[in-house]
Amino acid sequence: DSYFSSINCSFPRHAFDMALKGDYDFLDALVMFNSCDHIRRVYDHWIRQIKTPFVKILSLPRKAEQPQVEWFRSELDMLRESIQDHFGVKITDDGLREAIALHNKARGSQRALYDLRKGDKPPITGAEMLAVSVAGTAMPVEVYNKLLEEMLDDIDGADGHSNYRARLMVIGGELDNPKYLKVIEDQGGLVVTDALCFGSRMIWEDVDESADDPLTALSRYSIAERPSCARMYTQYPKRLQYIRNMVKDFNVDGVIFERLTFCETWGFEQYSLTQDLKELNIPLLCMDREYTLTAVGQLKTRVQAFLETLGR
Amino acid sequence: MDAKKERSISRMREEVAQFEPVLDLLRDDPDEMSQLQYFILESLVRNDKAIIECVEQDKPFLANQFTNPVEICTAMDVPFYFHVQQQFAAGGTGGSTHTLEDLEEMDKLGIPPDCCTLIRLLAYYQAAGLLPIPTAYLALTEPCDSVAGLQSLFMNHPDWRGVPAFVPDPPYHSDDRAIDYFAGEMKRMVDFITEHTGKTLDMNRLKEVVDETNRDYSLWFEYNDIRRAIPTPHSYIMPMSCFYLVNTMGAGDPVNAGFYKTMVANAEKRVRENTPEVPNQKIRVFWYDIQPMFFSEIVPWLEQEWGAVIAMDMVSYSPHELIDTSTEDNMFRGLAKRAFQHPPMIHQARGLADNVIHDITRIVQDYKMDCVIFPGHMGHKDMAASTALMRETCRELGVPFLYIGMDICDKRYMSVDEIKDKISQFFNAMGLGQN
Repeated sequence: DSYFSSINCSFPRHAFDMALKGDYDFLDALVMFNSCDHIRRVYDHWIRQIKTPFVKILSLPRKAEQPQVEWFRSELDMLRESIQDHFGVKITDDGLREAIALHNKARGSQRALYDLRKGDKPPITGAEMLAVSVAGTAMPVEVYNKLLEEMLDDIDGADGHSNYRARLMVIGGELDNPKYLKVIEDQGGLVVTDALCFGSRMIWEDVDESADDPLTALSRYSIAERPSCARMYTQYPKRLQYIRNMVKDFNVDGVIFERLTFCETWGFEQYSLTQDLKELNIPLLCMDREYTLTAVGQLKTRVQAFLETLGR
Repeated sequence: MDAKKERSISRMREEVAQFEPVLDLLRDDPDEMSQLQYFILESLVRNDKAIIECVEQDKPFLANQFTNPVEICTAMDVPFYFHVQQQFAAGGTGGSTHTLEDLEEMDKLGIPPDCCTLIRLLAYYQAAGLLPIPTAYLALTEPCDSVAGLQSLFMNHPDWRGVPAFVPDPPYHSDDRAIDYFAGEMKRMVDFITEHTGKTLDMNRLKEVVDETNRDYSLWFEYNDIRRAIPTPHSYIMPMSCFYLVNTMGAGDPVNAGFYKTMVANAEKRVRENTPEVPNQKIRVFWYDIQPMFFSEIVPWLEQEWGAVIAMDMVSYSPHELIDTSTEDNMFRGLAKRAFQHPPMIHQARGLADNVIHDITRIVQDYKMDCVIFPGHMGHKDMAASTALMRETCRELGVPFLYIGMDICDKRYMSVDEIKDKISQFFNAMGLGQN
């Protein structure tokens, strides 16, 4: 609270609090983006307060056209050079291609898990899927891929969940706590898909492995190809279409929109989505939340009421 | 003209009706300050009338953001209006009869109340059909998340979906590469305007316009230097007007230099004769944010009750640079910097927080400030996340710092009395204005 104010999002406050307490002292490097007004200020405080040896902030455009792809490609190129200089490593194009293939493989396996949730008896809950996705951001991708394969073998064809009141989709920004989804699912709403930062938006598209230049492929993926965050200005129609497709493909009964309090990026998106989903006759529940799991009672009550409005 | 079009310009018509009698009074008043005010009001009315005429006669015009280089629009002879100006001018000024009604209607939209009220109000004006639907729209994705979020919302409105939009994308960095990139965005913006209005850009005309705005900026810098004097020559309105005139339709008109020259001369005279507009100045305040819509309820109180004068503020002292007009590329690079590095709020909010530290240090020292007040508009989340840096900078400079935490549009968030109380407690606690 000494560094951020009471109108700042609890996610960066929490993350920076951890940094101040030394929880990130193990880091050799930190690469950030100007994702939002709250997170980008973490960088300003970090470089002044935390002694991480290598800290960079990349300039991520807010629109998705060719000049922006070129700009971000050059950001990635400069990052590559500075990592090479700082750590004395070589990041070759071939090495990048290998890494892209490995990560695409992970995305493919994750999508396979999502596919299993399209049926009447999904073998994995939304909370479990989120835990799997978040785990993938914090372990070597080779290990992760192996675990994903084992998991797919285990659950493919297994008996799934059938005792639920409604099939739900959760949309919004940063959510990395599976317990939040578990509270929803404990009320009887099974989360069968999502459009979250740590969810399907992270894995729904692959990076182009056939591109001549892997950095351009990575840039194009980040800027223009992957399902976008609400911060990307020109992409709202695509985001809406993405939700519509998900609702149809996963046979969704209702959508829950979760937003971290003080998030303006998703706050204005909420308005547009409220209008458009109403027009599309897709039931919607909008929930504000804090980064840490709080107000569980309120969450339960509102989800229960939402399920009732769905007639479930 | 259909009812929808008529409604879209109704607030502009109201503004014209409100200001024209005032203009009549000011026109005949020989007082120099009245003449300066006349100049600004006349500009507002002229701009309103130009847009009204465009709507009435189906002529092309743009909706614009306050940071896109107005020099380009002037040189291309395309009328425009700043939609963000509507809140301050036609839509919801403190004195507007519509303020409370607008805020209450805005609440009904359902945009989360922790989102910036300035931007939520704009969303309401659009939803209520109170913004003229332009031929094309020049948007922006900075300085803050709410501005960027607004653009998606704007372009999703059924009446605006067909409006072509160009959104310059400011980079987060400020180096040469970033300037080149944004200069490219400016050139693409020119192509966009041509495509949708049929107007072309003559480089000689652009040079003329930029030379003229350079002259205005030079005079503005000169004026800001005079404001370093103790006592400072003017209250807060004049410095704000400096920003307005180089950023509104008609910027680059040689007649504008007359305003700046008169203002400089008036300030010099006041310093020379020790006749400041605000007498008995005891506290020099650096107001580090944009002004609340209801500032007229705060500033006179500050000046009369405390002898506190706003010697400088965020809007009045953005570090603009003059543009090198020797080549087309240099001009576009200069316009790019003027657009994405210098304007108030953009300068502080886009990019790293280094500018916050730099601004406070420079202005506190140059203007011999007694304190820094950060109003902390509830929409300025990045600035709120920079308060520790502000506080630390002020501590190092040895000047007291106050973070209020208000809503510049909505007195329901924090009332004027509460704001005054916070400021009074601060002045008392810091021993300011005691002599």
